[in-house]
Amino acid sequence: MKSSRLSKNMFLLVLLMANMGISPAFSHHSNAMFNQDEVLALSGTIKEFQFTNPHTWIQLMVKDESGKEVEWSLEWGSPNNLGRQGVRPSTFPAGADVTIKTYPMKDGSPGGLFIGAQFSDGKTVGRWE
Amino acid sequence: MQRAIIFLLFSHFAFIGSVNAQELPDWSGVWAMMGGTIFDQDTKIGDGGSTAVGVREHPPYNDAYEAKYLANLALRDAGVFPDPNSFCGIPTGFPRLMNLPDVYEFAVTPKQVWIITENGPNVMRIYTDGREHPAANDMWPTHTGDSVGYWEGDTLVFDTLSLHSSESGNTIIDRTGLVLSDAAHIVTRMHINDDGMMEAQMTINDAKALTAPWVVTKRYRKLEEGARVYDYACNENNRNPIDPNTGWTYTIGTDGKIIDINPGQ
Repeated sequence: MKSSRLSKNMFLLVLLMANMGISPAFSHHSNAMFNQDEVLALSGTIKEFQFTNPHTWIQLMVKDESGKEVEWSLEWGSPNNLGRQGVRPSTFPAGADVTIKTYPMKDGSPGGLFIGAQFSDGKTVGRWE
Repeated sequence: MQRAIIFLLFSHFAFIGSVNAQELPDWSGVWAMMGGTIFDQDTKIGDGGSTAVGVREHPPYNDAYEAKYLANLALRDAGVFPDPNSFCGIPTGFPRLMNLPDVYEFAVTPKQVWIITENGPNVMRIYTDGREHPAANDMWPTHTGDSVGYWEGDTLVFDTLSLHSSESGNTIIDRTGLVLSDAAHIVTRMHINDDGMMEAQMTINDAKALTAPWVVTKRYRKLEEGARVYDYACNENNRNPIDPNTGWTYTIGTDGKIIDINPGQ
């Protein structure tokens, strides 16, 4: 992620994973596309929460530095494990304003691996601390 | 009178049935593997999971298989190690089947034990009805091989062979790149230990790959009563296709187009 692409809705936290105590969810595929040495925080509006196998996806609309809305694809765990942990298809309702922390894609594409989220009312999901 | 005789006969057989059922341990419930998907935690070095650079295990490989493992580790480090599970649809196979995320069920029946994994899903059948392995000519490599076993008290002991070779591309053991040959022969002992965890100790012999028996123990904790198991459908909404030429894992958007502009850069 190039810093020049960041807007007020996106801020990059360069942190070591060990310091965060964060471990990525298991995937059926390699996670080599994600930069897990960095945490990107995105503020935007939920477009869709795909509660599907083999992974869930949070589609988040985020304004870039020019004000244009960009759709981000944020990958999370399987609906099965998340469901056992209390996550539901309704956890991310369309239209909700939220800030999401993610391990961004290495090439700067609008995608990432979900870490945690905080809604405008302060409620958190996933690993937020 | 006739009804009384029928009742007594029914009660007698029901009693015999319940005695037989009580001889088998109660492995009901939903179980989850402990400790992550590094297959052999005891010989692991490095920090992180199976995809972390620098992490490896130390099976008693001979030189040829150590070289294969090192080559796989290099691919892993580059993020392009080919995992059959990533392609969606290829069964996991044994022994990796004992090394999966998500949850397990262990179904004990009088003549078979079924190990059912949510991830996949996969079913491994272990015959405990006294049969032996088929003759060599009557077996061919499969993902879970052929397993026959017996009970030693509350411990299930089973013997597995006729497995796919990892070299065939059909199976691996974990994402560090652990592999076995088609000579793999595995004896597994499963029981619930004193801590209430399911414990599976696998003793792996492989004349083509190993210089000594390789003993690996996996443990599983029982989830809370009432936990459910769900469908797993890898192709339902798989947005991570693998490039068959480079092994790179792409990400596709909701419009079906690849969103990686410069993959991995």
